[in-house]
Amino acid sequence: MKLPTSFQKIWAFSARSGLVNRRNVFAVFEMLFWPAIGIFSVGLLTRFLNLSGETVTFILIGAISMNTVQIAQLDLSYALLYSVWSKSLKHEFIAPIRLIHILLGCGLVGLIRGFLVFVGMAVLSVWLFHMELDRPGPGGLAVFLAGLFINAAIIGALVLALVLRFGQRAEVAAWSFSYLMLLLCGIYYPVSVLPAWAQALARFIPLTYFLEYFRHFYGFPLHSSRPLLYGFSLSMVYLLISYRLLHYTLRFAFRGGILLRLSE
Amino acid sequence: METAISAQGISKSFRERRFGPWKTVLSQVDLEVAPGAIFGVLGPNGAGKTTLISILATLLRPDQGRARVLGLDVVREAGRLRQRINLATGGAHFLWCLTAEENLRFYGRLYGLGGRALTAKVEGLLDLFQLADQRRVVFERLSTGLKQRLMLAKALINDPELLFMDEPTSGLDQEMAQHIREEILRLNRETGLTILLTTHNLREAEMLCSEVAFLKEGRLASRGSIAELQRRLGLGDHLSLVFRVAPAALEYARLPGVLTHRVQDARVDLVLDRAEVRLAAVLEAVSHGGGELAQVKLKPMDLEEIYREITH
Repeated sequence: MKLPTSFQKIWAFSARSGLVNRRNVFAVFEMLFWPAIGIFSVGLLTRFLNLSGETVTFILIGAISMNTVQIAQLDLSYALLYSVWSKSLKHEFIAPIRLIHILLGCGLVGLIRGFLVFVGMAVLSVWLFHMELDRPGPGGLAVFLAGLFINAAIIGALVLALVLRFGQRAEVAAWSFSYLMLLLCGIYYPVSVLPAWAQALARFIPLTYFLEYFRHFYGFPLHSSRPLLYGFSLSMVYLLISYRLLHYTLRFAFRGGILLRLSE
Repeated sequence: METAISAQGISKSFRERRFGPWKTVLSQVDLEVAPGAIFGVLGPNGAGKTTLISILATLLRPDQGRARVLGLDVVREAGRLRQRINLATGGAHFLWCLTAEENLRFYGRLYGLGGRALTAKVEGLLDLFQLADQRRVVFERLSTGLKQRLMLAKALINDPELLFMDEPTSGLDQEMAQHIREEILRLNRETGLTILLTTHNLREAEMLCSEVAFLKEGRLASRGSIAELQRRLGLGDHLSLVFRVAPAALEYARLPGVLTHRVQDARVDLVLDRAEVRLAAVLEAVSHGGGELAQVKLKPMDLEEIYREITH
């Protein structure tokens, strides 16, 4: 892989994602309106319930995580949907590109947008609801953010595989995948309140461990002895699986004519 | 000289629906295209034209057979081949919210272009296809003709050695279609670019292609230049001569350019390969034979006859 050439190919997808987001009013809503609504509604609910400082932080961490993962995965999930919607998929795949160019290019924009959402929601949480964001320190915060972005990348890659297999019908997966995952990993509540079978499923979701890790700085107990080890190990396994799956679906698309059908 | 495209025994089948029966779209297709040629693949809808062009353009893997394009295997060396080919399709589709210039820049980067090289290339193509004034217009607001010109510009972004064109004038009005055809001819003449195009418009094929192949139900039915096919099938321009009195016998078959003839009383029907070239000589021969003409009718060849003869 020649670096300068590959850089241009990666940049092609980053620039395209950036331009689409800039011109799409819904993208602005995704980044500003819904995250703000999320923080206000959850924050005010904690006030109404008269919850303690740590519990408020517990819930606000959930709200911030949910929106950050959701936004960060969207650019990756939409990477091929833009091409499917505009019927230009075959014009992209006749160019000498690789999956990694699409993943890195669109993933970079997702990472920036996710980071901006995280910062915006964190500022609102600290300012309006006195959340102590600095308690885990810069290291803890960086590790937590890395965990959120890796989870977003896993969801994005899985949605891309579904788009290559099922086309526009997979559009709904771009939203529903992350919500399903967030429901199981204890976004607004400890995993211990879930039914036993759901708790068992939650143990297979890396985000469960990253949330546990971040929340333990605020006095909440760890359910596993090494949350970061489990979280990152699971993440790497899922990243590898989703990348292989994506490769397989692309090969299948070249063999079965799906690329052509998605361009019609 | 190495051929630009060489395909042997290409076959492809699809399921029409999941778990449904397989339908053969291409069956044992062989094809050779010389460098610098404009080669036309003709056939009715569903004949397999797009499937064939997609296999050769590395967008679809054949079930059987092998194909080499520019000396590279379309399956095993697809990555290297993609750097040297490009595709233009009829009914241009690009990302709706990007401008003409942004779309070209996007595709240029996909071929590894950047910096000044990309800017120079995009500027050159915008000028070449008279899109400079519309450079900041988003794709969805361009007219159909401008969209098609942008499609051609995109297809040249990587200076391809071989261009695949899938019904490049479909959906365009006559004037724009003619303009696009002239652009294709100019590109071929000025750059020596090899072009493989699909069309079901025989006039277009006649104007553009040095050689054509007809596909019928996934099989190669016939190939050659339009003139060769016309000769082989005995098709041409119809010349009808009506004499005042039945003329003396004349060996019409020996007249230059006469493909077939029929004499009925005072009327003689001739099929000429090219009436514009042969007409004067035929009339002179008839005049020498002593026949006095009452009426001469010329009906140019209907290219659809070739189509009907081959595909039905």
